[in-house]
Amino acid sequence: MRPVAVTGLGVVSPFGAGVKAFWEGISGGVCAVRPVTLIDTEGFRCRIAAEVPDGIGGSARRSRADRLALAAAREALDDAGVARAERAEAALIVGAVGGGMLEAEAWYWQRARGVPAPLPAALASSFPSSHADVVGSVLGLGGPRETVVTACSSGAASLALAADLVADGVVPLALAGGVDALTRICFMGFNTLKLLDPTPCRPFDRDRRGMSIGEGAAFVVLEDAERARARGARVYAELAGYGMTSDAFHVTSPHPEGEGMARAMRAALRQAGVAAASVGYANAHGTATPQNDRIEARALREVFGEGRLLVSSTKSMIGHTMAAAGTLEAVATVLALVNEVIPPTARLETPDPEIPFDCVPRVAREAAVEFAISNSFGFGGQNVTLLFGRAA
Amino acid sequence: MTGHRVVITGAGVVDGHATGVVSRLLDESEARRLSRVCRMTVAAGRLALTEAGLDTDRGLALLVGTEFGDMVSTIAFVDGFLQRGTPGLSALLFPHTVMNTMAATTAIAVSARDLSLTLNAPTVAGELAIARAAAAVRAGRVGACLAGGADEPPPLVVATLREAGAGAEVRGEGAGFVVLESLDAARARGARILGEIVGVAWRALAARPHGIGRSPRSRAIAAALDEAGASSAEIGCVYTSASGDDRREVWEGALIDSALAPHRPARRSLSLPAGRHSGVAARAVATAASEAGERLALVHAVARGGSQVAIVVAGPSRVAGSRTRKGLASAEALRA
Amino acid sequence: MEPKEVFDELKTILVTRLKFDPRRAVDLTLETTLPKGIESSIGLDSLDFIELSIAIEERFGIAMDESADLAPHFTSFDTLSRYIASRTAGA
Repeated sequence: MRPVAVTGLGVVSPFGAGVKAFWEGISGGVCAVRPVTLIDTEGFRCRIAAEVPDGIGGSARRSRADRLALAAAREALDDAGVARAERAEAALIVGAVGGGMLEAEAWYWQRARGVPAPLPAALASSFPSSHADVVGSVLGLGGPRETVVTACSSGAASLALAADLVADGVVPLALAGGVDALTRICFMGFNTLKLLDPTPCRPFDRDRRGMSIGEGAAFVVLEDAERARARGARVYAELAGYGMTSDAFHVTSPHPEGEGMARAMRAALRQAGVAAASVGYANAHGTATPQNDRIEARALREVFGEGRLLVSSTKSMIGHTMAAAGTLEAVATVLALVNEVIPPTARLETPDPEIPFDCVPRVAREAAVEFAISNSFGFGGQNVTLLFGRAA
Repeated sequence: MTGHRVVITGAGVVDGHATGVVSRLLDESEARRLSRVCRMTVAAGRLALTEAGLDTDRGLALLVGTEFGDMVSTIAFVDGFLQRGTPGLSALLFPHTVMNTMAATTAIAVSARDLSLTLNAPTVAGELAIARAAAAVRAGRVGACLAGGADEPPPLVVATLREAGAGAEVRGEGAGFVVLESLDAARARGARILGEIVGVAWRALAARPHGIGRSPRSRAIAAALDEAGASSAEIGCVYTSASGDDRREVWEGALIDSALAPHRPARRSLSLPAGRHSGVAARAVATAASEAGERLALVHAVARGGSQVAIVVAGPSRVAGSRTRKGLASAEALRA
Repeated sequence: MEPKEVFDELKTILVTRLKFDPRRAVDLTLETTLPKGIESSIGLDSLDFIELSIAIEERFGIAMDESADLAPHFTSFDTLSRYIASRTAGA
């Protein structure tokens, strides 16, 4: 693949607005999972999540998710120093699942209770595609515009699709990211499937019991590497390759041997022309369900062998941010390469003996690695692996 | 044009009222857990793959465009809770509340184990999926690909959108796919070639979200023609996305006129009168290929909010030789 | 509730919540096995079992104790009906 550079980052996370707050939180091993405030959780086994704190900003007429998207997108474009004129050609690819459902749900709930409720201004923004239309319109992005929905890997798939456009020479640069605000549907659904831990999640721990849900938004600017260097842009890292596969196995359970996961990781290495031994860190999907962590570890071992590789789960700190996860965790991976610090797996007290890796328990680890991967394995077997290389 | 040539080797479209064809293509035990839109998607996928005679064990990618996803199931899921509290929440319905459920269930049903994507957009999602798929085949990133879309617009959502000021689109329900692969792969396995996708482009026009843009100027059509190495004079027919929203239709007409001027090829919309859904794009591409003759056809779509897609299609007779612009020019020179 | 009554209710649940064809539900007997992939089983998977548990809790007013191993009770409709009947006894 033609080299694609990461030249801008933008984040709104459970640690607040900005990349700085995000890195401070995750490198500090802080867990942002707290009692839910945005929706009523009466009667549910799990009543906690990692919400974005107050102060997102933006017009009250917009959905929460659209406001998260705009804030993160602005930061990324400003960070990359993309001028207004260049934006007309820039692609915009957004990973989304919940869209503006939080506001649509509130309206529907009131209606169901017989309370006359006016149509909220944000109702037309219920669909996942609304973030791209809002961000694209407000920030003047006139290149290819897509919204990709692949469940939990949406925010990683968007980076892969954007990389294609840059590598194929269709566009000189692309803004790619993922967005998800908390919704009742998501929270109730995962509760129903008994996939949530009533206490903050503990990926890779022997006693892990399930996921924590989170929300947020993140965007990265991807640019042709030569062009980035020519204009003197700051290059955080290179997106060296990616792999996208489908388990085609079951709508919620992953393939028991992680077959699709391993294929995605191998495809990323192959596309980048990088040997498995050159990868020093894997930012795992790491949801903390007994099943996912075990199967993912198995797939990791299959591809990278036992030991050596450092593995950690950012979801231990920000929860599973759904469509935003792939991008938030890609940003974490890029920052790990830049800062030469591997963020830890928070709350990891008793590492699962069946997982043959150092999962960086509780405290960040100083380590300079050349290549790192970020895994996102969506509900229903939609697997994406992104491979990042240290900037030359 | 660099990269692999992209040909169409199968097409399958299912419209919502054709319930008989759906039950013929799915067996009872798999149909049990599938919502209606998922069943239509699986059925359309199987129709297309059967026509293509493709062995999916050798790898198949899947791209599904959708405007509404499985909102019908989402509403049912939520109603279960509102009516009966937590015991009313259905574990079977929850996976359907994510828009990629049609792709996920179809990937299982047809064994599509390469990449599987769902693209959500108003109006243009089906065309977008086909354009994206064509680009992936051209670049050699995927071998064979099932690309198209599916929609089942819930009446409540449509009515509410209208109340909130959305355009008066005529909405149908159904699913449709084309099978795309490289010309070399299709020839190697002796597949019947239905046509070729010679150029694609997708861009965003300046417009407020859900709004109509003010300018008739765009770049997608020119970019698609450029990739095809073709001129606007070669377009014999344009298949538009007109479906009852007059203001959007006027805008689309202006965009097409402006891009193809001074030529004004005939225009047709396959979204009326039966209504538009994200499976209609596959029908448009397949129809364009079968009716193109020796000329080219343009499949075009534009959405409120500005997403625009252009796909240039050639018929099977043009695929037979190497009909590049150069080739056509010298053929015309010979005739003169 | 007697196991036979419970069984009839379970058949209703299979139709209303697990989307079984009513004609298929009629063919089910107490001996029909539950797990997927076994001869004469009705092809349920993990998601179906979660749905079944929710429906049983709602319909019969009992709580399924997650910490216990419930697998032996879910072997066939016979074992499941007896288990539910015993939990509703005296209710």
